[in-house]
Amino acid sequence: MNKGAMAPDQEQDTPLKSDSMFINLGPQHPSTHGVLRVGLTIDGEMITKAVPDVGYLHRGTSKLAEVRGYHHCVVLTDRWDYVSAMPNNLVFCLAAERLMGLNVPPRGDVLRVLMCELNRIASHLLFFGTYGIDIGAFTPFLYAFREREMILDLFEMVSGARLTYNYIRLGGVMVDVTDEWVAKCREFIEYFKPRLDEYDTLLTYNPIFMARTEKVGLIPPQTAVNWGLSGPNLRGSGVNYDVRKADPYCGYEQYDFEIPLGKTGSCWDRYFCRVSEMRQSVRIVLQALDKLAPGPVMAPGVAKVPKPQPGEAYAHVEGARGDLGIFLVSDGQASPYRMHVKAPSFMNLAILQELLVGNKVSDVIAILGSTDIVLGEVDR
Amino acid sequence: MTQDELYSKLAAELPHLEKAQTQVKDYLTMRLPSADRLLETVRALKERLGFDYLEMVSATDWLGPVKPEGYIRNPNPIVFMAEGATPQSIPTATPNFPYRPMIELVWMLANIPEKIRLVLKLEVPREDAAVPSLCGLFKAADWQEREIYDLMGVAFTGHPNLTKILTPEFLQGHPLRKDYVHVKDRFDE
Amino acid sequence: MGIVIEKLPGITKGLPGGELLLTTADYFVDLGRRASLWPMTFGLACCAIEMMGSYASRFDFDRMGVIPRASPRQADVMIVAGTVCKKMAEPILEIYHQMPEPRFVISMGSCANCGGPYYDSYSVLKGVDRIVPVDVYIAGCPPRPEALQYAVVKLQEKIARMKLSQAGGASLQQERGSRDVVGGAAPQPLPGSETGPRIEVG
Repeated sequence: MNKGAMAPDQEQDTPLKSDSMFINLGPQHPSTHGVLRVGLTIDGEMITKAVPDVGYLHRGTSKLAEVRGYHHCVVLTDRWDYVSAMPNNLVFCLAAERLMGLNVPPRGDVLRVLMCELNRIASHLLFFGTYGIDIGAFTPFLYAFREREMILDLFEMVSGARLTYNYIRLGGVMVDVTDEWVAKCREFIEYFKPRLDEYDTLLTYNPIFMARTEKVGLIPPQTAVNWGLSGPNLRGSGVNYDVRKADPYCGYEQYDFEIPLGKTGSCWDRYFCRVSEMRQSVRIVLQALDKLAPGPVMAPGVAKVPKPQPGEAYAHVEGARGDLGIFLVSDGQASPYRMHVKAPSFMNLAILQELLVGNKVSDVIAILGSTDIVLGEVDR
Repeated sequence: MTQDELYSKLAAELPHLEKAQTQVKDYLTMRLPSADRLLETVRALKERLGFDYLEMVSATDWLGPVKPEGYIRNPNPIVFMAEGATPQSIPTATPNFPYRPMIELVWMLANIPEKIRLVLKLEVPREDAAVPSLCGLFKAADWQEREIYDLMGVAFTGHPNLTKILTPEFLQGHPLRKDYVHVKDRFDE
Repeated sequence: MGIVIEKLPGITKGLPGGELLLTTADYFVDLGRRASLWPMTFGLACCAIEMMGSYASRFDFDRMGVIPRASPRQADVMIVAGTVCKKMAEPILEIYHQMPEPRFVISMGSCANCGGPYYDSYSVLKGVDRIVPVDVYIAGCPPRPEALQYAVVKLQEKIARMKLSQAGGASLQQERGSRDVVGGAAPQPLPGSETGPRIEVG
């Protein structure tokens, strides 16, 4: 944080003049989770105005998609939400498959669910670690990355990449998993289950952590809906909205899982929703592993250069950060005519201009971290 | 609520909405005849039919295939490409496709308890494209409308802070318009 | 003259007083520089997650003397991890100038090297070496943590060759930027480009 210019003071008549100060948070700041700038106007310790400034990672993906083929676009999707890339692959493929009328074979669907849930665990682990750092606890980061590396190893076994997988393709998934992979995955889940209780003792019910997050950054349910929040940020306020239940895709209606909800919409509730979601994801992964029946993983006859019929399609999935949607328009050519991304982080970040006002400077990072934004998705 | 029930409700409550020609796959798509009644319609949808979650604001420029001048494809020996090569084919027009100088705005509204979504569409001419802002009804419209303004050049009248949000200040034009031509700035060779 | 300091106990024993240390100033300074490279925690995009992975449990960057610092004033090396967009170019330049000399830059990933998958995008800078000189490039999208550690090893090798007599330790490449200097020669106009020498930004 570096001091900027002093803003003109509003109150001229009071004997004790208080100057408001302008502070830049970012774009280079270790706790902004990327390249975000927040212009903060503070009066003493209180924040009177907060203006998030985004666009430092705007890469023009929507424009690039208009000259890339449909298969190439999947590569671009990996790099929006680079912490959980599988749901990004999935949402583009779902939208494109709706345009092309492709049907994914059952094993392909199960593998998609499996990978998305594993990726949700990996993403929430990263949140768990970095949020600990934001609050001042460095140790959870090391624990979280220990487990995260194991998930990345599993992804590396199937796709060859650690972060940008390009594993979910049009019509199914890239390759089938081996028996060895399934055994490794079960082994990991068995290892991971007791770790979740360890996290609770390490951070979740830590008195210092709770004191810093429990009554901070409250979002009432109506506000959350009005700002269009989604994912754990919305569910932390107690609104039961999860795309997996509200608009099921990939056969999510066949899985037995619960939607963890918060009570007050505080930072701790949002944090706790994510930690509880990891438990639910473990349940889904186990069910998906049981569902893996032999069969093809790719729909037959996916064209090398697909040219779908003119039309429009919208698909959305519950990514790790919320309701990730794609609006895809085709005019019959080999590239999408228009691709619009409805990014959950973009919406979750917009509320900061209202949420930060009235809080203390020391709570800014606690609130910012609890929204769990990924700047690649905010700016696309 | 199913889509058919929603359609019959809409026909009774908001008769000026008509079914759009191109349906967004799997979702009920309605077309607004003009921008004048947008605010009134959305307010009725929000207050009477419970569509209180603005999921998406998008826009499509229907001018025609995208211009290659909007991309940086200079013969550049540093980037891994032969000189003068075009990495992807230049998009061509589809015959008999109704390209037109219009920008089509798309709103997606959701009713969370009833688990139903509705797509609203509205066409405005490309020149001086302007529509009323939904900021007064949904805070979620704030940044999404700024994004559309920045990338597509649609002015949202009544928006409290309609400024650039994603592109840098020195970028000229609206990149997602189909006739966008990239003007070289100091960071391009 | 590295031999002297590595065989220190044996050699100093024979010297008068037993406390004398024989080495060159170059070696002594370079040893200090290369054994404690403090990077700035500065993540731009996808590669930043792999950079975090390198600091974390499995890859453990600390054992190489690489400890992340939050402020550019305390940092020696800037790891440009991710896509450099035009809007971010000037902040990066400012951060680079805030770092104390000698400063080093590692360009991590295809985006920072040359634009990567965004080679034709209107808002992406095609390589961070257009604004700051780069010492080590890492290929990959994103590179693995091992690749980043190998880059640090390579940077250490490079620092070991630095000489105080040459412009305060900075090589011609560091002075002018990597692409403009080929084999230490003066900047040549690149074949096929009519624009001439690169415009200095900032």
